Amino acid sequence: MSLIDEDQALIAAALNGSAYAWEKLVKRYEGKIYNHGLRLTGNTSDAMDLMQEVFLGVYRNLHRFRGDAKFSSWIFRIAHNKAVDMNRRRRLMSIQASPSNQDGDDGLDSFPAEVRYEPDVKLGEQQLNGRVLKMLSELTLEQRAIVELKIFQSLTFEEIAELQELSANTAKTRFYSALKKLKVVSEKKHALS
Amino acid sequence: MPCPKTPHLLQEYFSDELAPRTRDELEKHLSECPHCNAELEALLLAQQNLQQWQDQQVPHWDRGLALFRQEHRVSRPTTGFWNLWQWLPSAASLVMLCVLIFNLSIVSGEQGISISFAGSQSSSLDVQTQLADFRQSQNAAMQALVLRMEDRADSNNVELMQAVLEQTQQSTAESFDQIYAYFEQQRLLDLQDMRSGYEQLVDSDYETIRSLRQLVTFVGYQDDIR
Repeated sequence: MSLIDEDQALIAAALNGSAYAWEKLVKRYEGKIYNHGLRLTGNTSDAMDLMQEVFLGVYRNLHRFRGDAKFSSWIFRIAHNKAVDMNRRRRLMSIQASPSNQDGDDGLDSFPAEVRYEPDVKLGEQQLNGRVLKMLSELTLEQRAIVELKIFQSLTFEEIAELQELSANTAKTRFYSALKKLKVVSEKKHALS
Repeated sequence: MPCPKTPHLLQEYFSDELAPRTRDELEKHLSECPHCNAELEALLLAQQNLQQWQDQQVPHWDRGLALFRQEHRVSRPTTGFWNLWQWLPSAASLVMLCVLIFNLSIVSGEQGISISFAGSQSSSLDVQTQLADFRQSQNAAMQALVLRMEDRADSNNVELMQAVLEQTQQSTAESFDQIYAYFEQQRLLDLQDMRSGYEQLVDSDYETIRSLRQLVTFVGYQDDIR
């Protein structure tokens, strides 16, 4: 049985009330969603909040999943929408003004990216991930989301465009501008070290 | 000096699918243009740095199971339904008990279905007649069965007797043969004994004669001496 078929079977069982199937389905994707949230938000508590909201959204809308797209694409679409909502809520609550908006307004550009790790995380991993988060923090959340989907989730620009409801060309342009910004960060770091 | 083609070319470089002709042109330009080449290397390095990410383990959480169980338990009407069905065997047993206690009889005839308690007179008469008929037919069947059994037992006895007689005859003949052989053997043994007895007798006679001869000889010798 392929992974997609297994997803379908688990979804059907969960819709019939199987808590075991639901737990298995969550276990399959929680790692991806949590790390996705960690890279987007930059800290574990926000990543946990985002992940819980994503799976709550999945649970509420599971009966609407038709199976014509991959479950992973569907869940990342929910994750994207939840990240936008989360960011919007925080912006409303925050008195601080949002930074300059360069690539349009979808509420993603002012997402915080603090590097805040728990002490039990291994030192080597902490350093590597800290560097990655530092680089990502230079990007707007909109750029971060595209970099995330392209580099870490290996989606095509067509898939990213469909997921974020924009054109494939725009997705490509944003990815390039994000990489350019990251390049500058890397160069600065090399220059300092 | 910066190359004017850099943004467009490098954006294309990161496309998902490149046409072979575009790829050739791009590679040709990259090999010729140091600025574009350096820019691409820097971008690839940045990408490589990002890919150093180590996946973090998800902290413990309940995976929404509490909510899932709560909502599925409340929304399911099956519990009440099954409770209703659980009473069914008890109700059936109660009905059967009532039928037995009140001797309930349900008769369906031309006038419809009639239910009566403790039976009815007419029906008991019918039942008695039917019982008598049934008894007679059973007796007749039993008689016929007994006769058949007797016949079969007689024929079996005759066969058995015949078999026993044949066996006895055979065994008697064998016994006679054995007795005859035994007597014959005894006779031969007796003959042998008699022969040996006679031989011994003859031998003893010869011995007597010889001793008599010796005596005679001895007496004659004594006489000669005198």
